[in-house]
Amino acid sequence: MGEAFLAVKDIYKSFNGQKAVNGVSFTIDKGEIFGLLGPNGAGKTTVIRILSTVLAADTGDATVGGYSLRKNPAEVRDLVGVCPQDLALYEDLSALDNLIFFGQLEGLNGREAKAQAMSHLALMGLTERAKGKISKFSGGMKRRINLAIALMGNSKLLFLDEPTVGIDPQSRNNIFETIRGLRDKGMTILYTTHYMEEANRLCDRIAIMDGGKFVAMDTPQGLKRQIGDPDKVTLEDIFLKLTGRSLRD
Amino acid sequence: MKRALIVALREVRTYLQDKADLAFSLLLPIVTFALIYGAFGGSELFHGTAYIVNEDVNGTYTEKLIEQIGQEKSLDVELLSRTDAESKLGRSDLNIVLFIPAGFSDKLNTNQPAELTFLQRGNGGQEGQIVASIIRGVVSKLNQEFSVLDQTKQILTGKGIVTEQIAITTQKFLEREQEYPLIEVKEVAIGSKPNMVNQFLPGIITMYVLFAINIGTAAIVEERRRGTLERLLTTHLSPSELFFGKFMASALRGFIQTFILLALSYAVFHIFTPLSFLECLLIAFLFTMACSTIGLVIASLSRTQDAATWIGVTFTMAMTIFGGTFFTISKGSALYTLSKLSINTYANNAFKTLIAEGGHISDLGLEIGVIAGVTIVGLVISRFFFKAVSKGK
Repeated sequence: MGEAFLAVKDIYKSFNGQKAVNGVSFTIDKGEIFGLLGPNGAGKTTVIRILSTVLAADTGDATVGGYSLRKNPAEVRDLVGVCPQDLALYEDLSALDNLIFFGQLEGLNGREAKAQAMSHLALMGLTERAKGKISKFSGGMKRRINLAIALMGNSKLLFLDEPTVGIDPQSRNNIFETIRGLRDKGMTILYTTHYMEEANRLCDRIAIMDGGKFVAMDTPQGLKRQIGDPDKVTLEDIFLKLTGRSLRD
Repeated sequence: MKRALIVALREVRTYLQDKADLAFSLLLPIVTFALIYGAFGGSELFHGTAYIVNEDVNGTYTEKLIEQIGQEKSLDVELLSRTDAESKLGRSDLNIVLFIPAGFSDKLNTNQPAELTFLQRGNGGQEGQIVASIIRGVVSKLNQEFSVLDQTKQILTGKGIVTEQIAITTQKFLEREQEYPLIEVKEVAIGSKPNMVNQFLPGIITMYVLFAINIGTAAIVEERRRGTLERLLTTHLSPSELFFGKFMASALRGFIQTFILLALSYAVFHIFTPLSFLECLLIAFLFTMACSTIGLVIASLSRTQDAATWIGVTFTMAMTIFGGTFFTISKGSALYTLSKLSINTYANNAFKTLIAEGGHISDLGLEIGVIAGVTIVGLVISRFFFKAVSKGK
């Protein structure tokens, strides 16, 4: 076990009496990619909203880099970058302007924001399209910009909420390589996805969430081992075994 | 404050980069001004049409009467058949028609009293009453001419003067009297001109500024629709900074349009002094800020774009009706009491004082107090009700 960069302790959140997050506790080590899997409505996005300080937990707390979510939300925001599930971009601005804008809101001055934006665009293979309007971008390019924005500022912990939905294999591969590269540089990552194969390839550890609770948490190999031979069992098998086969919203 | 400014600058930048939106918003006040100019700018005086049914065809005096009515600068003449006139009156296409009966000139030739009739719907309407009044003036002048000519004829007949010479000389005297009247009526303008532009421009500006409500609403609702609202609040930007940035941007955008409208009015209608123009700009800016915060309140209370649109439209309509924007509300009426609840009342009063009554900003303590109060309270309320995500930040 390394040093825990994110430590979540017993968080609960209800909406109109319905428990969306029901006593979740976990830690993520510095430089670890932690996968959060679960069917629709399991509570994954609510967990991310709470950890990114947009939503307050009813009870419980978490620390990011030693800062409490409840007591030091501004410091937490300084360390956290969020890549939301839905694209959150200004279509009428260029890729560069989008990155600079969010960079400035993260506290960078104009020059720093531009330098960092160009660096992230290069990382995403979009240097040539820096001045192109987002509205003219393909779905894959938009996804990459969506991720690049999350990197602006001084983020040490990334929340990636299904960052590869609806994109081609090339863009997906670029995103995977970017995420691995970030991990290698010490970035801590919380990654949610519906693609089991993605989680298997990327994540050091995985938690499976259903009904607002964690129903399993282990390495990919460890999870597979729970129901059989890890070389024959897939993550999808364990996912369906733990969350059931009934359709969700 | 710095982050609020970054948000505001991004809004303004987007506004300037969207060529279609920019062209529309800049052209809108110019088009509005052209409409005002077309409606009121051509002439400050009344101009109407005298609709006449002439059944005294080829009558000497009738021709003279119609000719003299046509010489009135404020009137055009349109001749109609009786059937046409009655049909148009029946359909309310016309409110008043002058009816000249057959034998009108013959009666006058034989010194019998003759009669003209106004066929009218109700009281003939405001314009109709003015037209009738001008026609009465023309008829009265003709009456006097007949009377003078008749009396002169009676006095000079049988004194060895040719009858035709009597008529010609009398006519000459009458024409000289018209040219150099004994009693001359002069018009001396004091203070601002009571023209149609002065009367309507305050209401039009008030309505224009009111559009800033929609700009303020859209500033937040669009962020929510795009999905960027939640993302913005994961940065160092606080909800208060977000609101202040949006407030500055929408106030500025709303004011640009009003500035164009006021500047064109200043340049073309000459209804402002440089001081009153600056005072009007200041009131317009204050009112734009108030409207922007109202827009933010609506955006904070609305969960969807449709809800925001409907609340915005209903609110604008209510403010316009209760505020007596284009009509005068009688004191003591229920509407008068309600009008005190409309911000339009105070903005409209302020613009009226500056534009139509020649007043100054020092006369507008109550109006400025109310408008500034709405701005501050609006900012506080909108921030209080605002949630980026349900039950969240």
